[in-house]
Amino acid sequence: MVLVSLSAFAFLFSELVQYNQTQVDNISELERRLEDAGYAVGARVLELLCHREKGNRKETRLLGILSFVHSTVWKVLFGKLTLEKGTEHEDEYMSSEKELLVNRFISIPKDMGTFNCGAFVAGIVRGVLDGAGFPAVVTAHFVPMDGQQRPRTTILIKFAEEVLRREARLGCDYFTDLVKAIIATAVDVKYKFLL
Amino acid sequence: MIACVAVIGHQNNPLYIQSFTEADDALKLHHIVHCSLDVVEERVNNPKKSGPTLNETFLGLLYPTENYKVYGYLTNTKVKFILVTTDLDVRDADVRNFFRRFHAAYVDAVSNPFHVPGKKITSKTFAERVSNIVKSFGLSSAG
Repeated sequence: MVLVSLSAFAFLFSELVQYNQTQVDNISELERRLEDAGYAVGARVLELLCHREKGNRKETRLLGILSFVHSTVWKVLFGKLTLEKGTEHEDEYMSSEKELLVNRFISIPKDMGTFNCGAFVAGIVRGVLDGAGFPAVVTAHFVPMDGQQRPRTTILIKFAEEVLRREARLGCDYFTDLVKAIIATAVDVKYKFLL
Repeated sequence: MIACVAVIGHQNNPLYIQSFTEADDALKLHHIVHCSLDVVEERVNNPKKSGPTLNETFLGLLYPTENYKVYGYLTNTKVKFILVTTDLDVRDADVRNFFRRFHAAYVDAVSNPFHVPGKKITSKTFAERVSNIVKSFGLSSAG
């Protein structure tokens, strides 16, 4: 496994951010550019990892691809697993990390508001999900935590409509069996009551 | 003898087609590759048995025509590799091995930051590696 020094990457990333900063006028444009840069990385990482690590298997289920992103992609890119998962809504998945590697040497000036260089990492995740056939909108947010000086970073993944429909269709075999079993027991109870 | 190899993108657009026999008509090989895409779609959408087949990348023999055999391979990003060969007896292990090396060459070609995903692969290194793999395929199955 080839190791790259953190300082070399930090230099490169800071140059990337500075270059994009000179090209745009506002914050959201800068975030979008960082995300696009990450998207290109994500697409290539997916190809590489599927060939190298995953052998001959593809991911077709939502939880499968999420756990792939959480473990394999994070391990290869950042060398460690510090991600924690959390779920809130039907189509939204959150994972939070204490401090993103790319943000280690970056402090955001006050006049930039809620800008987060983690948009690059969000772009990587979006590239991986998109390439695997799970279109999603991925964003990175700062979440201030009590008792800690620097806020945690949260990556929010919101899947598109078609992904949820397909997931429902693929997962419904188990679900319909479950529903049938429930109905069967309910009918049984009702008959016993009548008798 | 391998007649031709092809890489098809996820919107069924051709990314790389290369034929290795001078005698046959290149257009006919293109046509065979194009028709095999239908078989790939059908295999992907109607799996015969659930579970392992949904996740396999190697699709196996797609269909045999008059004097060709067509093998397919599907990557995680819906990119398809098609192999057209004129050999009559080809071992499964040989084809899997071929696709594995072909996938490695493809991953290297795509990792090129100057390669635009969705456009044709124009790297000369990729073409050289593919022709090396094709040559060694012929040797290994003959020996």
